[in-house]
Amino acid sequence: MKLRHYETMFLLHPELSSDDRDDAIEKFSSIITHDGGQVVHTDKWPLKKLAYKVQKQTHGYYVVMDFGAKSSTIQELTRNFRLDERVMKFITTKLDDEFNPEEAAKKYAEAEKEGESEAEPSSESSTEGKEEE
Amino acid sequence: MQRPQQRYRRRRIYVRRKICRFCADKSITLDFKDADLLKHFITERGKILPRRVTGTCAKHQRRLTNAVKKARIMALIPFTSGHALKD
Repeated sequence: MKLRHYETMFLLHPELSSDDRDDAIEKFSSIITHDGGQVVHTDKWPLKKLAYKVQKQTHGYYVVMDFGAKSSTIQELTRNFRLDERVMKFITTKLDDEFNPEEAAKKYAEAEKEGESEAEPSSESSTEGKEEE
Repeated sequence: MQRPQQRYRRRRIYVRRKICRFCADKSITLDFKDADLLKHFITERGKILPRRVTGTCAKHQRRLTNAVKKARIMALIPFTSGHALKD
């Protein structure tokens, strides 16, 4: 089945530890990869103040995942988001009907290059695992 | 005798045609995750500003409303100031 290009953003509970958050992210990315999908980039935002209270919480951790997956994967992903108590809010948007991993990765490579020239240079990166530095 | 044309001209207020920000600067991509950008297009109460105020073109206004609505769902911008958190 054809892969489509999706982007998912979810909001994690503020009282989770760094390990718990990584664990949750790992869980959702494995759902995607186990179903034949491919995660291009995972962006973890720092603790952010919310615009309004969600589950009585005023802050939360946002995570943005850019990936290619089959449309059936999204159903499974959504079901898991609903069940998981660590996730307070989530949204999945389709970026494109076609998924091109190289092109999707290019965008992040360019952004990274720009960031490197501004800030201190960081080490080489593959498609994943860039953010732990 | 006073010419009516002159009177009319005086009353007319000159409005500068506003240019769509997204057409003028192609580098800005409308993204619901960019709350700082979307804040320029909502009122203090959190309503979406009309095109006649911001000058956005029809195409980008459509995308803008969708982006604002997604951002509201994700608690990036408030639905209304009544529920918004104080700084």
